[in-house]
Amino acid sequence: MKHHDTITGLALLALCAIAYWLTTGFSEVPAMLSQNVPPTFFPRLVISIMATLSVVLVAAGIGREPEITGRSSTTFWRTVAIIASTGILASILGTLLTLGIVAIALPIAWGERRYSFIGILAVCLPISIYLIFTLGLNVYFPAGQIVGLLLEN
Amino acid sequence: MDLSLEYALPVLTDPIVIGLIVAGTVMGVVIGALPGLSSSMGVALLLPFSLYLEPIPAIALLSALYCAGTFGGSITAILINAPGAPPAVATAFDGYPMATKGEAGRALGIAAVSSASGGILSVLVLLFAAPLLAQVAYSFGPPEYFALGVFALSMLASISGEAPLKNLIGGCLGLLIATVGIDLTTGVERFTFGVPELYEGIQFIPVLIGLFAVTELLNQAQELGRERIAVTVSALKLPSLDDFRRVKNTILRSSCIGIFVGVLPAEGSTMAAMVGYNEAKRWSKTPDDFGKGAIEGVAGPEAANNAATGGAMVPTLALGIPGSATAAVILGGLQVQGLRPGPYLFEEQPGLLYGIFFAMLLANILFLFIGLLGAKVFSRISLVPRTFLWPTVFALCFVGAYGLNQSMVDVWIMIISGLVGFVLKKNGFGPAPIIMGVVLGGLVETSLAQSMIIFDQQWTGFLSRPITLSLLVLAVISLIGGKIRSVLRRLLSRTNRTA
Repeated sequence: MKHHDTITGLALLALCAIAYWLTTGFSEVPAMLSQNVPPTFFPRLVISIMATLSVVLVAAGIGREPEITGRSSTTFWRTVAIIASTGILASILGTLLTLGIVAIALPIAWGERRYSFIGILAVCLPISIYLIFTLGLNVYFPAGQIVGLLLEN
Repeated sequence: MDLSLEYALPVLTDPIVIGLIVAGTVMGVVIGALPGLSSSMGVALLLPFSLYLEPIPAIALLSALYCAGTFGGSITAILINAPGAPPAVATAFDGYPMATKGEAGRALGIAAVSSASGGILSVLVLLFAAPLLAQVAYSFGPPEYFALGVFALSMLASISGEAPLKNLIGGCLGLLIATVGIDLTTGVERFTFGVPELYEGIQFIPVLIGLFAVTELLNQAQELGRERIAVTVSALKLPSLDDFRRVKNTILRSSCIGIFVGVLPAEGSTMAAMVGYNEAKRWSKTPDDFGKGAIEGVAGPEAANNAATGGAMVPTLALGIPGSATAAVILGGLQVQGLRPGPYLFEEQPGLLYGIFFAMLLANILFLFIGLLGAKVFSRISLVPRTFLWPTVFALCFVGAYGLNQSMVDVWIMIISGLVGFVLKKNGFGPAPIIMGVVLGGLVETSLAQSMIIFDQQWTGFLSRPITLSLLVLAVISLIGGKIRSVLRRLLSRTNRTA
């Protein structure tokens, strides 16, 4: 897979454009209240500097050989999927159950086949977290919609 | 700042503080020894949990982990040629060849002694330099703080010689992230998208955990196939007296380099180690041995990277400007604890400096023994299967991000930061500049706004104050200094060729 600083720079310029457009939606305040330093002042200053640097990055990348990087493996994409789904899973199944599932899914996705060890990790990890954080430090994790429904019934 | 023992004794004799320092040191060495886990990530992961402690024990714990983690990276660098953390990269150049020659114990011994020497020297500098610098900073007003912030951000251009432009863009990205939330002056919502959890801004800790830990997890997922060849520590042979004689000057020189590099805003242990290695080679009588297992090649970077830890804490505590990525994390920790890093910190928390000093000193002494005696154990720890290590790390990331506000929005911020951080890393953007931007964002924006009011919207006002002007000139030099140097070098070589 090839990647080029010019493309990175263009992506950053697009980000700057979006961020600048978002600043146009900030509520306006009287100059007296803002003491002539409106809420858009600093973000726009930073965006301008970032856009200037991105233009330099685009220019510096032109004519330079693109770097060849390795193609991402299926293991990598599985990992991304597992990590990205934890937020959704936690709200449905609850945090502790989700972390138990992660402790099973991630090692398997990474090629681990010692299922007894995976099982021990999947059980011990949520229990340790519950003991240390919920009982020890009073951190209460969301129970999740399913557990919530079960408790209601 | 009163350096009397009145404030020191309660800290030095507190069993909780001592226990936490020991725990922080052991954790630091273990985290540093595990490939992929760095001291920055260790401090980031531990930060949310340290908030359950009082400020002094919490910062003592993080400081001990910082020192020990920097040393811990050398264990894997020497034993399996996989530096546990970026500051140990240079250690692998000669440490691993030594290990393959059956001198792993000697290399680990040199690394432990050099690291401890550099670290101890740097905490002594910290104890005296931080209060002195803080006294200078008493006279600083908003324009000076703004110029200092700009100078610190400009130093990002020299963190990595290969990507100064990308570091600066990363710093700007961090500044932009710091603007999310309600503007304190006007009460206007900025980039909140109507999400109430974002009104107070994007929390620092989830971003930090995402950028350091989740990004590394994804990185590990891509490098699963890479084989690691471990070297066994057959016999722990300590460095001989002759070895010490050979490296004593290297240790002293590299320690001074490390302290100096550490004090510079944004420059951390990695750069110190590289400079320390290069200087060790330059001053060596046998430079050709470098890369083949020269003990100076281990002593140089190790003394420098640990010396940078104490150095980095000087501007962090005295000015509120982080001296390195890990110091930025500790600075964030101080802020979350409700402390105000800067000159008034020592007045408000007189025991804090002693807490940090004592923690770093004890950690440096402790890891010397732990490193020497536990080399065999750590060589095994470094081989913990990644398939079990990283799910546990991710669980800690999840709990750490969630625990602070008990909010799932923070978990999402952590996940998104990790994914974005990975994409950025693949395109040459490191996490450290972004973190620096996030940490400095509030200071830079507030001081700029106040300065503009003081100067009646005239930018030229910054040029009327000597300290501000000097700092801005330094910022310009650090921004374009590298370019000027390379142009001059090219011109000189061309002139020499024609002559």
